[in-house]
Amino acid sequence: MSELIFAYQDSGEEMTLNMGPQHPSTHGVIRFIIKTDGEIMHEAVPDVGYLHRAIEGIAEKCSYEGFMPYTDRVDYVCAMTANHAWAAAVEKLADAKVPERGEYLRVISDELNRISSHTVALGAMAMDIGATTPFMYILREREYVNDLLEMLCGARLTYNYHRVGGVGWDMPTGWRDKVLSWLDHFEPIIDEFDRLICRNELFIKRLANLAAVPAAEAISFGLVGPNLRASGVDFDCRRDVPYSVYPKLQFNVPVGRGEMGAVGDSWDRYYVRLEEWKESVKILRQALDQIQATEPDFYTRPKKLKPKGDAMARVESARGDMSVYVVGEGTTNPYRAHFRTGSFNAMKLIQAKSRGLMVADLVALIASLDIVAPEIDR
Amino acid sequence: MDLSTLITPGTLFFFMLAAVTLVSALGVALAPNILYSAFSLLGTLGGVAGLYLLLGADFVGIVQVLVYVGGILVLILFAVLLTNKLGELKLNNLSTGLMVGAPAAVALLALIVKGVTTTAWPLTEEATAPTTARLGDSFLREHLLPFELVSLVLLMALVGAMVIARRAAKEEGRSVPEESHDRLVG
Amino acid sequence: MGWLAILIPLVVFVVLGFVATLLFGWLIPALGGDLHSWYAALLKAAFILLGFVMPLAGVLTWMERRQSAMMQDRLGPNRANVGPVRAFGLMHFVADALKMLFKEDFVPANANKLLFALGPVMAIAPVLITFAVVPWGSGVCAGHLTDRLTDGQLAQCLDTGGGRFQVVHLEIGLLFYFAIASLAVYGATLAGWASYNKWSLLGGLRASSQMMSYEVTMGLAILGAFLVYGSLEPATIVQAQGDSILHWGVVTQPLGFVLFFTAAIAETKRTPFDIPEGESEVIGYFVEYSGMRFGMFYLAEFMEVIFTSAIVATVFFGGWQIPGLHADGFVAGQMPHWLVCTLQFVAWAVKVFVLCWFQLMIRWTMPRFRPDQLMRLGWKQLLPASLANILITAGVVLALMPGAK
Repeated sequence: MSELIFAYQDSGEEMTLNMGPQHPSTHGVIRFIIKTDGEIMHEAVPDVGYLHRAIEGIAEKCSYEGFMPYTDRVDYVCAMTANHAWAAAVEKLADAKVPERGEYLRVISDELNRISSHTVALGAMAMDIGATTPFMYILREREYVNDLLEMLCGARLTYNYHRVGGVGWDMPTGWRDKVLSWLDHFEPIIDEFDRLICRNELFIKRLANLAAVPAAEAISFGLVGPNLRASGVDFDCRRDVPYSVYPKLQFNVPVGRGEMGAVGDSWDRYYVRLEEWKESVKILRQALDQIQATEPDFYTRPKKLKPKGDAMARVESARGDMSVYVVGEGTTNPYRAHFRTGSFNAMKLIQAKSRGLMVADLVALIASLDIVAPEIDR
Repeated sequence: MDLSTLITPGTLFFFMLAAVTLVSALGVALAPNILYSAFSLLGTLGGVAGLYLLLGADFVGIVQVLVYVGGILVLILFAVLLTNKLGELKLNNLSTGLMVGAPAAVALLALIVKGVTTTAWPLTEEATAPTTARLGDSFLREHLLPFELVSLVLLMALVGAMVIARRAAKEEGRSVPEESHDRLVG
Repeated sequence: MGWLAILIPLVVFVVLGFVATLLFGWLIPALGGDLHSWYAALLKAAFILLGFVMPLAGVLTWMERRQSAMMQDRLGPNRANVGPVRAFGLMHFVADALKMLFKEDFVPANANKLLFALGPVMAIAPVLITFAVVPWGSGVCAGHLTDRLTDGQLAQCLDTGGGRFQVVHLEIGLLFYFAIASLAVYGATLAGWASYNKWSLLGGLRASSQMMSYEVTMGLAILGAFLVYGSLEPATIVQAQGDSILHWGVVTQPLGFVLFFTAAIAETKRTPFDIPEGESEVIGYFVEYSGMRFGMFYLAEFMEVIFTSAIVATVFFGGWQIPGLHADGFVAGQMPHWLVCTLQFVAWAVKVFVLCWFQLMIRWTMPRFRPDQLMRLGWKQLLPASLANILITAGVVLALMPGAK
C-alpha cells in the first residue's frame, strides 16, 4: 500500500485524500485513496483488508458443523444466507439429505433476512445522501424482522440457525401467524417508503445517471445480485441456479429499467432492492402456506461427516450470488473453503467508475452498491 | 488648540480607526508571510469602512464592508490559502523594487500632503443624515450614463475573465467542471 | 401533551414581552435613563440576545432532536432533568452546554493556532451583530404605559423618545445585515483552512463558495421588497405591512419570499444545503474542533436559523404586526399601550418560532445537494429568477403607484 500512497503524492494540480478507514460513509472499515482536483475525483483507489479475519483459514481448523457460527460473520448484515450457502455446500459434498420442512424454514429465514438486509442498504443509502428520516423509518421494520428471527433461533444478528442437514429449530408455536401479520403490516410500508424518498426530486437528482453500469460491463466486473440486475441482466440464483425449494415458489426477478436515467445507474440499483422486498414478501407468503403441508421433521443429522472431494453451492444472498467452494479430504475438517461474495467485486467497480465523479458521488456510489465491509475481506 | 475639544468620543473613535487602518496597512506592506498580509487587509478595509461611517457616509461604509471585506477579500484569501505549499512561501515585500518604489512613494506622499494642506475642508452640520436616497438620485438620475458605462466595463471584465479561464483550462487538457458534469449526466 | 408545546412558548413570550415593555417603558425612564443613549442600546441588545436569541438557540438544539425524533417515530432526548423536573428533557441543552464547556479543547499539531482560534469567533460574531437591526416590536412610549395612544402619537413618541424595540434604527438596516452576514464566510473558511486537515479544507471551500453564491441571490431577492415598501429600514418595512394580511411581503412578493427563504436557508448551511458540513461526505469544516469551540459553530448555526426566521418574519410576514391591531387596539381606545406592546412582541416571537420550526421540518425532510447541483441552482435558477422578480416588481410598482418617483 505504501507504494500506492507514494504514487499518488501530490503533483501540484491534484490533492490526495485519504478516505477511511474511519469514515462515516464507508460502511465499515474500508479505505479509499482519492485523487481529486477540488471536488472532482480523478481516481478513487479502494484499499481493502481492514476487516480481514481469515474466516476461510478458520474453516480449515473447524469441523464442518462447527464452522457454522463463523459463516455468520462473513456477512453479518445478511448472515442467514451465508449459513445457507455453507450448509448447502457441505450437504452437496457429503451427499446429505435435508427434510422438506428444513428447506422451507431455510427459505423463510433467508427471505426475512434479505428484507432486513435491504432495509439497511436502502436506509443507509438515503442517509448517505443526507436524508436521515428514511433510515429511521425503515430500520423500525428491521427491528420487527430481528424480533421474528430471534423467536426462531434466539439471535438477532448472527443467527447460527442452519445446520448441515436442516435447520437448528422448528418454528415456535404461533410464529407463522406472527410473520404473516407482520407481512400484512410491511407490505404497505414498502409503498410508503417509496413515496417517502424514492420520488424526491433531490434524491433522483443525486442518483439518476450516477455511475451507470451497462449490462456488459456489469458482467465483466463480476457484479452479482441486485447490482447486476439493476444493469438489466435478468439473473437470479434462486431462479436460474435452482436450489432448496425455490423452484416450487412463484416470484419475479426485478431488473433495472432505467426509469430515471440510464439503465444500471445508482437509482436503478436502489430501486431494484425496493422491488425485491415485494418479491420476498410474495415468497414468504407462499412458503409459509406450503410449509403447513410438510412432515414435522426438519433436521437430519448426517451420520459420519468425513466427506472426500469438492463441492460448490450458490446461494442468492442479499448482496447477490454467494458461492461456497469446499474441498474435503475425508477428515472431520474441510481441507479448503472459499467464499465468493458480491461486495468484493463491487469494490473494484468503484475504482473504474470513480473518474469524473465528485467526492459526494463516491459516497452515493458506495451506498448504492450496498457494500458491506466484512463481506469484502472475510 | 484646546485639548478638551479634541478629546470627544468622535475624535477618539477616529484615532482608533485611523490607528487600526494604518497599522494593518503597514502589516499588508511589511508582513513577511503573504498570508498575514492578506489578513492585515481585513483590518485596513474594515478601518476604512469605519472611517466612512464616522464621516456620515453610511451607505458607502456598509457597501465597503459588503463588497470589499465580504467579497473581494474572501477571493484574495482564497487565492492565498490555496496557493500550493504555503509553508515554503516566504515573500518579503521589503525586498523588491526599492529603487523604483521609493521615488514613487515620495512623490505620492508629496501629492497627498499638498492635497491635505490646500483643501478647505468645509464642515457641514447634517453629517448623520441618511445618504441612500441622495446616492440613488445621483447614480440613477444625474450620472446615469457614466454609471451604466462603468457597469458595462465590469461586465466586459467578467466575460473576459471567463473566456481566458476556460481557454487556459482547455489548453492544459484539464476537464472543465461543466464538461465533466455533462459527461456524467450524458 | 401536544398543547403544552404551544402553551409553554406562548407563556414565555408573553412574559418576555411584558418584561421588555416594563424595562424600557417604565424602569429605565423611572431611574432617569435616556432611551436614546448608548447604554439603552446596550440593554436592548442584551435583552434580545440573552433573553430571546441565546435561550431559543439552546432550546432549538433540543427541539431539533425532539422534532426529528417525532418525525422519525422515535422518542428523542427526554431524560435530562433538574431533580424531579424532567419537562420532556428540555434541560438537555444545558447538559449539552456543560459537556462542551468541560470537554478538552484540542488543537491539531500543525494547525495555525491564531486562525484556528479565530474561526469560531468569526462564525458567531456576525450572527450576533446582525440582530441589531431586527425590530421585535414597535416600541414603547416612556411614561404612557397605561394610556391609550393613537398610531400618530406613538410614531411621534418613538421618533423623539427613542423607545423603539430595535437596537439600532439604521436607515440602511438591511444593507447592514447583508454586509455583516457576508463576514460569516470567514468563520467557515478560516476554520477549514487553519485545521490543517484536507477534509476540513474541502468543507471550508464548499462553505465559502456556497455562502458567497447565495448571498447574491439573497440580496437580489429582497430587493423586490425594498421596491414595494420603499425602504431599507426593517422597522419601516414592518410599519408598512400593518393594515391587513394582504400587505404582508409574502403576499406582495411571493416569488421574492421563496427565493429569499431558500437562499437564507443555504446561508445557514443546513440540509438540504449542508454540503459544507456533509457529515457523510467531508464531515465539515469544523471536523477538528472540539469542546466549546465546536459549540460556538453549533450555536452559530442555530442562531442563524433564528436570524433567518427573524428577517423573513420582518420582511415577509409583517414582523410584529397583528393585522388590524393599532397602537390602541383593534378598535380605537380599546387597549392600553403596555398590552399592545406585549402583544406585538408575542406576535413577532411566535412568527420567528414558527419559521424556526418550519426550517427544522425542512432539515429533516430533505436529502442533500451535490456541490455542483447547488451551484447550478444558485447561479442558474435562483439568480435569474430573482432578477426577473426585480424587473416584474419594478414594473408593477411603476404601474400601480404613479406617485413613486
